[in-house]
Amino acid sequence: MGKTILVVDDDPDVRSFVVTVLEENQYTPLVACDGVEGLEMILKHQPDLVILDVLMPRGSGIRLYRQLKTDDALKTVPVIMFTGIALRSFLKSQKALEEFKGEKVPEPDIYLEKPVEPQELVDAIRKKLA
Amino acid sequence: MSTNKILIVDDEQAIVRLLSMSLKSDGYDTCTAASGEEALDVFEKQSPDIVVTDIKMPGMDGLELLKRIKDLDPDKEVIIVTGHGDIDSTITALQYGASDFINKPVRDEALAIALERAQTKIRIREQLASYTQDLEEKVAEATVEIRRKSNFQRLLIHSSHDAIVAFDQDWQIVVYNPEAARIFEKRPRNVLNKMTIDELYPPQLAAFFRSEAKNKVHDRGEMPWKEMILETRNNKQIPVRYATSALHEKEEFMGIVNFFQDLTEIKRLEKELIQSERMAAIGQTVSGLAHYVKNILIGLKGGSYVVNVGFQNDNMEKIKTGWRTIQKNIERVANLTQDMLTYSKERTPEVELCSPNEIVTEVKDLVLDVAAANDIEITTRCDPDLGQMWLDPGTVHRALLNLVNNAMDACLQEEDPDRRFKVEIRTGKTDDGAAVFEIEDNGCGMDDQTRAKLFTPMFSSKGGKGTGLGLLVTKKLVEEHRGTIDIDTRLGYGSMFTITLPERPETGRDENDK
Repeated sequence: MGKTILVVDDDPDVRSFVVTVLEENQYTPLVACDGVEGLEMILKHQPDLVILDVLMPRGSGIRLYRQLKTDDALKTVPVIMFTGIALRSFLKSQKALEEFKGEKVPEPDIYLEKPVEPQELVDAIRKKLA
Repeated sequence: MSTNKILIVDDEQAIVRLLSMSLKSDGYDTCTAASGEEALDVFEKQSPDIVVTDIKMPGMDGLELLKRIKDLDPDKEVIIVTGHGDIDSTITALQYGASDFINKPVRDEALAIALERAQTKIRIREQLASYTQDLEEKVAEATVEIRRKSNFQRLLIHSSHDAIVAFDQDWQIVVYNPEAARIFEKRPRNVLNKMTIDELYPPQLAAFFRSEAKNKVHDRGEMPWKEMILETRNNKQIPVRYATSALHEKEEFMGIVNFFQDLTEIKRLEKELIQSERMAAIGQTVSGLAHYVKNILIGLKGGSYVVNVGFQNDNMEKIKTGWRTIQKNIERVANLTQDMLTYSKERTPEVELCSPNEIVTEVKDLVLDVAAANDIEITTRCDPDLGQMWLDPGTVHRALLNLVNNAMDACLQEEDPDRRFKVEIRTGKTDDGAAVFEIEDNGCGMDDQTRAKLFTPMFSSKGGKGTGLGLLVTKKLVEEHRGTIDIDTRLGYGSMFTITLPERPETGRDENDK
């Protein structure tokens, strides 16, 4: 099996879809249902890439993304945002958080808005892992 | 009052002159006559106030003169001058209305006293006259004022937009204005003082007001406006607001007055407004819906991808997983369609005898799996005395399911890792017999902004996971059941929704039965 990819999404349907796409493309999928569990999995398994939903109960994707990008040990973990939230809204929330917290985090390199064709997702993963 | 004029009558010229001079020196105005006939002549020309006449005169004597003068003007004072011992004449003079007597020979003091008495009488009479006239004027003024006021009140009742019907203590109709004539479709002249309450009102209503009047004998509190469907004797049904007041005078029952406001037009406008608001809401809904439908589409596409992979790899597990996703999203479409239909159509609650507590158990059973999967404890606390009630079980079921699902979502959105999430459903009864349902969670709660938008169409705090229709549909169902929905919430601590549903809401017009 290939590289390990963690899928963090509260929707089981999205998880099973992404997991299937990953398996079909010879990646090793890991899953987490929310931000809290996501962070645990990252620390425990050190995945090669994280596919992260934005809106989730218990530790949103926004929080987890910021946790990753402000932690010296974790900031290099590649992240693909994978969400139903428009990029514009996401960036707006980031900007508000930056002003509030006084720390700046880089914009996500790859931001995929659902719905995403399997090939699109695979292309994004390949690009990120290259 | 000016000095009285005095006519002195005597056939003896010397006496006349003497008296006249004496009186003039006392400040009186005098005139004289030497006989009864002349006296009458002078009387008519000079109109003296007091006549002093000798009783014995040739021709017309003093008695005859007295009689004539009193005939002409009974207010004139006539003093008779008599000789000693002439009792018979004195009595006759009294009968004719003489005011006083003086004896001959006339002494100044006696005359002065008699004149003074006569003057006092005149003064009192004048005062009385002026007082009487005053009184008459005042009565006339008051009468005009009363007539004006009564006219004003009559006009007020006549032109009132409320129908006003009043009954006297025998339940006869004494006030019946044009608006009442319009509502009851009977002419005032056939009704006023001719009909009783039982001939105008349908039996139920008449009985109701009769009993209402009895209740009001001891309690003067005004009855608040109430609504009902008025069924007239012509079998028309008119939605009205009505109020009634028992009238009392010094604790005694005088009658009763009823006011009716025809709500037909208001009800129609209300209906139109609600309908158009709902249509506008549906319009706003379209963009929100597109978003939600897109999410369903994502689910369906993802699901079918997983199923395809399963087929390609002969992997039954994948096929099952993908199929579950597809089924779940079909379910979401079905629910959405039903919500939309429920929200856009007007619906009368289908009331039947049902057990609220049983419905609570059904709803609890439905959500138990999802709750367990998310570590949420569902508890119920049902009032065992609730029993069977006349409610629309569909409304109860739908409303409870929506609210319990919301409550569980609120638990999932709360980020406190140590909290043990709980949703409790409780039932009970209000004092006036309505069913009460409470759904309480200890989830994330709401801020004021979210709370304010709670019943706005397509407002959802659940991202793409909510349609924004759930609470709207719930509210609509509850209101169609003439119930209420209330929210008590605190951000970070949880929410409690309370639904109150009165029994048999579609039979409101039968409220008077009870």
